[in-house]
Amino acid sequence: MIEFSSLNKWFGALHVLSDISLSVAKGEVVVVCGPSGSGKSTLIRCVNGLEPFQKGKLIVDGTELGGSEASLRDLRMEVGFVFQQFNLYPHKTALENVTLAPVHVRKLSKAAAEERGRALLEKVGLADKMENYPHQLSGGQQQRVAIARSLAMQPKIMLFDEPTSALDPEMINEVLDVMVSLANEGMTMMVVTHEMGFARKVADRVMFMDRGAIVEIAAPETFFTTPKNDRTRDFLSKVLQH
Amino acid sequence: MLGNLNTRVMLEYLPDIWQGFLATLMLSAAGFAGAMIIGIVACALSIQPLRWLRGPAVVYVDAIRATPLLAQLYFLYFGLPRLGILVPEMVIGVIALSLNSGAYVAEIIRSGILSIPRGQVEAGKSTGMTYLQRMRLIILPQAIRPTVSPLIGQAIVLIKDSSLLSLISVVELTRAGQMIAIDRFMPIEGLVATALAYLVLYYLLKLLAGVWVYQNRLPGRA
Repeated sequence: MIEFSSLNKWFGALHVLSDISLSVAKGEVVVVCGPSGSGKSTLIRCVNGLEPFQKGKLIVDGTELGGSEASLRDLRMEVGFVFQQFNLYPHKTALENVTLAPVHVRKLSKAAAEERGRALLEKVGLADKMENYPHQLSGGQQQRVAIARSLAMQPKIMLFDEPTSALDPEMINEVLDVMVSLANEGMTMMVVTHEMGFARKVADRVMFMDRGAIVEIAAPETFFTTPKNDRTRDFLSKVLQH
Repeated sequence: MLGNLNTRVMLEYLPDIWQGFLATLMLSAAGFAGAMIIGIVACALSIQPLRWLRGPAVVYVDAIRATPLLAQLYFLYFGLPRLGILVPEMVIGVIALSLNSGAYVAEIIRSGILSIPRGQVEAGKSTGMTYLQRMRLIILPQAIRPTVSPLIGQAIVLIKDSSLLSLISVVELTRAGQMIAIDRFMPIEGLVATALAYLVLYYLLKLLAGVWVYQNRLPGRA
């Protein structure tokens, strides 16, 4: 479903992604962790073309990135992206946030989009917040609207870029619960997060990145109990303490 | 100085001031409409990544902002006939006002667009929206609010700038006021009458802006 081959990216002289090769299968959940600046956000931003790269190949859902603007748009319809800062449209209600792209990009009728939107907002537990504007919602509620907004396009892949990092601790679980149920439904997911509980529960593989490279990638039991690399061990000892 | 103002003469010239008021209103409205069109186009060009699209817009904005309106007005007044374009002074005046304010309008709108966080663009991109869809559905609706006050400010500047058209013999408010000075040797009466009329225009616009802001306040926010 997602296939990186020897992908390299530089920001000027800074080598932000070095020789990334990784293959994510359909229905697989891959959790990406690592210290800040390790390139994990940049990595998943490459998957839906928010970041260009200079060398290597990336094929997502059969489409090679780096093609025409139109093929990139077609791809983005199939790849949902959830941001750390939610990025909800402040001038639209929760329901309008969710229906905007289905109506204008998927060309769904307004009625059909609203029906889908209402169902999704109910699913993420916001049945009573449909007509609210983003600023009237808590962080956790906003992030759940953002997830519903992505799902409304009925994507094949969902990418999460530190979806709970901007949230107050008591709101983290409401967002994680939605993500867990999504994973259980068989969605292909790449999740950048430091929520190791989430990784243990639903990840098929956990990946540790440092300085733009994949240091270690393994199934959660192996990753957490017998990490091979010193840097992974060091990182885990820091994030697992609390 | 104002104590012995001859209000009788001012009232006598009220019809002329009224005509001047209407002319200034029309010229300014036409000028601002032109400025909005030019400004939107120049702004749209100036935010494009392609240099050959952006270049002309940047040169236009810089050239206008770097030179006085009076110079631009005379340039058109004497320059257009040399190109064989013979149009009434009033039209030249409107063109000058449009070109001049258009540059400022372009900058105001551009700053409004640039004030929208990058994440909004990325959210639109991530759902497969085209550039035009992102602009129409996400960026512009949010960019209008912060531009309204500065645009009203620019309209007020334009109204006052239109007084320069009196120098190319367009009869507008300032010119009408000068008539009192010339006919009756009462410059202060003329100036005060003119100033009061400008004040009325100013408050009209301020009122309009206030109504717009009230009607378009963010839903759910006081």
